[in-house]
Amino acid sequence: MQPVQLFCWHFMAYPYLDRDFDQTHDTGWVTVPNSLWDNNKARGLYQEYIDQLAYADELDFDGMVLNEHHQNIYGLMPSPNMIAAALTQRSTRGKIVVLGNLLPLHMNPLRVAEEYAMLDQMSNGRLIAGFAPGGGPETFNYDVPSANTREKFWEAADLIVRSWSEDGPFAHEGRYFPLRYVNPWPKPLQKPYPPIWIPGSRSPSTLTEVAKRGYCYFLSSRSHGGETHRAQQEFAAVLEKHGDKYHPFRFGILMSTYVAETDQQAREECEEGVWYFLKNCLKGHLRREGRQLTYGPGVPYIPAAAWREYLKGYQPGRKLLGDVENWEELDASQSIIVGSPETVTRRIKSLIEKAKAGNLLIQFQFGNMPNHLARKSMKLFAEKVAPALRHESLAQFTKEYPGLNLEQPTEAIH
Amino acid sequence: MSGQIVEVNRRNVQVLETGSGHPLLYLHGFADVHSVKENWLPFHERLAGHARVIAPAHPGCAQTDENKDIDTVEDVVFHYLEVLDALKLTQFDLVGSCVGGWIAAELGVRHPEKIRKLILIGAAGLFVQGALIGDVFMNAQPEYGSSYASLREMLFASANQPNALDMFPDGKGELEDEVRRYQMLRFGSRIGFKPPYFYNHSLRNRLHRITIPALVIWGEHDHMVPLSHGETYARSMPQAQSVRVIPKSGHSVHVENPDVTAQVVLDFLAS
Repeated sequence: MQPVQLFCWHFMAYPYLDRDFDQTHDTGWVTVPNSLWDNNKARGLYQEYIDQLAYADELDFDGMVLNEHHQNIYGLMPSPNMIAAALTQRSTRGKIVVLGNLLPLHMNPLRVAEEYAMLDQMSNGRLIAGFAPGGGPETFNYDVPSANTREKFWEAADLIVRSWSEDGPFAHEGRYFPLRYVNPWPKPLQKPYPPIWIPGSRSPSTLTEVAKRGYCYFLSSRSHGGETHRAQQEFAAVLEKHGDKYHPFRFGILMSTYVAETDQQAREECEEGVWYFLKNCLKGHLRREGRQLTYGPGVPYIPAAAWREYLKGYQPGRKLLGDVENWEELDASQSIIVGSPETVTRRIKSLIEKAKAGNLLIQFQFGNMPNHLARKSMKLFAEKVAPALRHESLAQFTKEYPGLNLEQPTEAIH
Repeated sequence: MSGQIVEVNRRNVQVLETGSGHPLLYLHGFADVHSVKENWLPFHERLAGHARVIAPAHPGCAQTDENKDIDTVEDVVFHYLEVLDALKLTQFDLVGSCVGGWIAAELGVRHPEKIRKLILIGAAGLFVQGALIGDVFMNAQPEYGSSYASLREMLFASANQPNALDMFPDGKGELEDEVRRYQMLRFGSRIGFKPPYFYNHSLRNRLHRITIPALVIWGEHDHMVPLSHGETYARSMPQAQSVRVIPKSGHSVHVENPDVTAQVVLDFLAS
């Protein structure tokens, strides 16, 4: 048994927008003009962000998390593999989680198989390989047809895993990515292949496909009300149906935190960065203001029958995370947990207890939060929060999942 | 459900039919029967006074089965050849609006002998340098959580005219209308996203094969497919007249000005 795994997730926002950005621009995604990019300010930005991730490794986090976004101010990592490559040389202990490469955007999934294999070799077997289909903005960024996105995604994911676990050369006779010679050099170091994580937002089809293959499910929601607990239960039920058993390390959640010496100091220090993140970075993604691109009829990637079900519960104009109007509303969303080490420990512990999640992927830096504050919060977390969370989660998981042997990799069930 | 289900190569196709006379095949666009409304619009009813109007729903639209093998407009054209076989339609007038107009033009360049007269209304399908077809997908994402004003603005002369609000209301409309709108976008995403948007680069150079009488109708204020596309169609089909521009209409002329548009069609068919 192992305790909860604590990862540091960096989104790498563009932090130099003017204060009135929200009033003057209707989105932070896809069409946000790149004339706003300011080289005088941005010089050294990637170095600062990579240093923060390397610092997480020094602080003994279990890993560092990166993901892929395009043409936006929310995340400046069109190629997370480049940052991951840098981290292979800047870190020695933690896992490098790329969550993930957006497979339908790649002309050839073999490229992902090759780059991930390189990262696994370069990091001495520390890669966690994430695959994601990409959300609404990517449909527009890369002109990816929506209706077949999921079919393309699973074909690519299965091809990559086969290329790692089966000796080549072999021919892939696929619908979308036919390849006569599949024979990647190098192969990944981890056997049979690196752990695979797939993000989802409770769609039954994704839960089922992940369960069938024995992968880890990562809930991409940023809010943690009852839905997080429900997602865990749904995933556990789907696993049962496929003759498998849930355990906490098959499930991950995204959360955000800021830790300071006292509750009041924590709020004062992080508030500017948090509002920058909510109002600017989430505009176009998780805000109703402007045009939300992430989900909707213009990116029709779920079947019509699923859309009909979705519509039944759909409330037009409902508030999304970025629409919160005050600190109390934000606090209630359980999206960003802010406070003293005691407060943060208590609230995250309760989240782990309910969600039974063994992988916490935690965002420390928000929007334009200055470097020194992000690092201070990470350090306080590592020293004052992580030990208690590890201790208590170990006791919880040992009690709730007796006999769980993590040495044996879960056999993929097909 | 309206109309009938016809089995075509082991897939179901919903077909509406009304009126009598020479067969007229109608291929729908975004603001239309099958893509919003379950039943005929006034435009079609006017035509049905003089023709046997037949309107199949595109693959994945209304009650027509989705076809995951559709990647390009070519696949849609082949689907319609199978539909024509199943309906035993050998000679017909062909009217298409928007994406339906694109499909009609693609049918026309391949099988002009099947078509008596061709009518394209605000048809997509062409690449015209400097005149991109509008992004219906991005405009289908609501603003402020519930507004479809920019989608209406794209598909009609103005966002707040009653027929636009009736077909694309803000918030949540009638459930089955919403589902049909979604299905049409999903069908559109199969053929309209790559290459972007709703064109086939090869089509223009093939239009010379359409030597049958052809008419191109365009809304004066089409904000989705620029008028230059209509002019290119008209110029490239040897027997086409110059574009008939319908005043005070946008992209969905047959919805915005049904009587005038139907009369133009009927006059052309009778001529």
